[in-house]
Amino acid sequence: MQKNKVFTDVLEKIKNLVGEEYFSDSLEDRLCYSYDATIDEALPDAIVTPGTTEEIAQIMKWANQAKLPVIPRGAGTGLSGGSVPVQGGLVMVLTRMGRIIEINEADYYMVVENGVVTQTICDEMEKRGFMYPPDPASMKTSTIGGNIAENAGGLRGLKYGVTKDYVMGMEVVTPTGDILHTGTRTVKTATGYNLTQLFVGSEGTLGIVTKITLKFIPAPEHKESLLAIFKDMNHAAQTVADIISSGVVPATLEFLDHITINAVEDFENIGLPRDADALLLIETDGVKEAAMKEIGRVEEICRKNQAFRLEKAETEEQRDKIWEARRTAFSALARVRPTTILEDATVPRSRIPDMVRGVNEIAKKYNIQIGNFGHAGDGNLHPTILTDQRDKEEFERVEKAIDEIFELALKLGGTISGEHGIGSTKAKFMPDEVGDTGISVMKNVKKALDPNNILNPGKMFVS
Amino acid sequence: MNFIPDRVEDLVRCMKCGNCQETCPVFVVTGKESRVARGRIRLLKAVINDEIEITDGVQESVLTCLQCDACRITCPPGVPVHELLLAAKAAMLKKGKALPEDQNKLRISIKDESNPFAQQKGERGAWLPPDMKEPKPAKYLLHAGCAISYASNRIGKAVIRILQKAGIDFTMLGDKEECCGDPLFRMGDTEQAEKQIEKNKAMYKELGIEYVITPCAGCFKTFKEHYSDIIKPLHIVQLFDRLVKEGKMSFSRPFKKKVIYFDGCDIGRHGEVFEEPRELLKAIPGLDLIEFPKNRENAQCCGGPLLGSYPELARKIAAQRVQEAIDLGAEILVVACPTCLLNLKEGARAAGLRMDIQDINPIIMRAL
Repeated sequence: MQKNKVFTDVLEKIKNLVGEEYFSDSLEDRLCYSYDATIDEALPDAIVTPGTTEEIAQIMKWANQAKLPVIPRGAGTGLSGGSVPVQGGLVMVLTRMGRIIEINEADYYMVVENGVVTQTICDEMEKRGFMYPPDPASMKTSTIGGNIAENAGGLRGLKYGVTKDYVMGMEVVTPTGDILHTGTRTVKTATGYNLTQLFVGSEGTLGIVTKITLKFIPAPEHKESLLAIFKDMNHAAQTVADIISSGVVPATLEFLDHITINAVEDFENIGLPRDADALLLIETDGVKEAAMKEIGRVEEICRKNQAFRLEKAETEEQRDKIWEARRTAFSALARVRPTTILEDATVPRSRIPDMVRGVNEIAKKYNIQIGNFGHAGDGNLHPTILTDQRDKEEFERVEKAIDEIFELALKLGGTISGEHGIGSTKAKFMPDEVGDTGISVMKNVKKALDPNNILNPGKMFVS
Repeated sequence: MNFIPDRVEDLVRCMKCGNCQETCPVFVVTGKESRVARGRIRLLKAVINDEIEITDGVQESVLTCLQCDACRITCPPGVPVHELLLAAKAAMLKKGKALPEDQNKLRISIKDESNPFAQQKGERGAWLPPDMKEPKPAKYLLHAGCAISYASNRIGKAVIRILQKAGIDFTMLGDKEECCGDPLFRMGDTEQAEKQIEKNKAMYKELGIEYVITPCAGCFKTFKEHYSDIIKPLHIVQLFDRLVKEGKMSFSRPFKKKVIYFDGCDIGRHGEVFEEPRELLKAIPGLDLIEFPKNRENAQCCGGPLLGSYPELARKIAAQRVQEAIDLGAEILVVACPTCLLNLKEGARAAGLRMDIQDINPIIMRAL
């Protein structure tokens, strides 16, 4: 992107504001902030790492005047291109603001800065006998700000919900540089528009979330874990349906397909049957007696649906062992081919067999490898495409296959994104899900908050 | 640019997930993407794709890698970052990118004096007891290493006394002992490192050495990786652990302290020696051994490899490890590596932290 004088001047002012240590326009740093965890890349003009809300507000005022694109970024672990500076501009790294400001055990809320790593929040809660449930796979590195921007999910979504369910309020710097406070510290509020939820999942296009009031809950006292392996995916799917309709809501209900099971075996040889069609990892939690009774019921349901191997963990070691397959699933798939593309098409959970079958047919049609694993309880699958980006011909097939996977998810009443967001990679599919009116309303919201379209431009909407 | 062509497949495999951020000690203290495997890999790709030259910035990004290999453990596709970065360092030097001044001094010192501390070669064995100054043919060679010979004699003296007490027949090379080659590999001077290795191997052959034993973790790793065709390398704790198990060595004096063992990367992740030092410490009566939450394969580097080149960074990382030990209530932080010892002490001093940091060997000697 051609730097003009206005940009150069404003970047200079920003550098003076934050200090040289927290500003860079070196080619090395621009290369290092050109990506997230997708294959998309674009060079920013500069990188700033502000330390306070006030600095951010000042930067936004100047950027808005100069119409300089600003791209907020946490740890850069996103899976939809959300923090890739597709139109150049200033990448704003928010990891410096990493304090837990307050934890209120009487009122079950905490106030944190946007740059706190999610795992830190979970650990802090665990220490105190509480739980912050959203657990995206990236939680050891990703920031709470990033989780909010993408409305990140995780393994515990079925029973405990996702990031949006734990955000009570926030401090946000608007694209024009104003500081807005939303929400409350109370369980209930009926005051005005629910602006808090407007910013959750807004992918850094509406404002820069600087402080967040998060809800937490008491930690469950007991966990039960069960591994069930099936020769027929339909039986696994029936098991999921039967568990839910029996009234049991497992804390975890994870699924691995045939290809993933075999990738795990190739990678670690943990003794999974290679002819298995599906594997379920199920956990119940809560009051000990309840969790035990529930896992008993789940076990019965698995038996009835012809699970041919059932392993229940009696000790922490056994629990660790039955988690092995799920834990290594992604690494195992990632080692098969040089490029791994992780999608998050999501369907109503009853449609999982249709989705897996459909994805397998798409893989066959385009002669590519796709492994499926994910969160069976909430229908959030991770079709994982194993390919080599350098093979142009194969990659064209991959792109077509991805298009069809999203079409299929929508056809089955699902969504193009369960927990990764739209970003740049899925923008073209948005109208298919939300319709023309949906796009138009969203664009109006965007315009109302960001009249000059400077905050994370080029995301969510095809311009 | 034609650059590390045989490592391109490793570079391509990086999926940019960012998991390395959590495990990279350099990233943890800097927060900068150019100081973590994902960023370093992106820069190496940029060099290959002619997006950038081998600038000072690119070089520094690569040279600030600790080579601790922690990121490989959490990397989903398992990119061999350690090997990749060593290759990149070597290739940069070959392409004519000179090392920064202070690192080049270390390199020259090894070339001229066979140690990275600019000390005289003829002074290397000055600390040794008279009967250890001259080499003789033997089954065991005790290699002290540069750090112990020039900086931490106390460790070496303890080892000699323990070996003598256990009745092990061993020899040392005295002033003829040379650098194992490790710092040269770390700086990318593979050529000189290999020369050094050949020279050492010739000496070992001449003396009929079967085992090279050493209290230096860096030397141990290098022996394991580059000398295993002619000798059997042992970290000294492996030998001591074996002697205890065979009943040839035992601890009679209690040591009533809460001790935390620090897995240095060279003895641990690289050398794959995790249990022996723990077994030894647990065999000492009264000693209460506790663990870092991240231990063994997942242990976090102390920053030691950067002490000579980026001391401020190295000390910051070390201070974090020392603080962790303090928070866990440890009375003594025990290491099995002179570099870890030196750097952790430096880190504690710079950060004003009070912690008793010791090498394992003086503790063993005291308990015999």
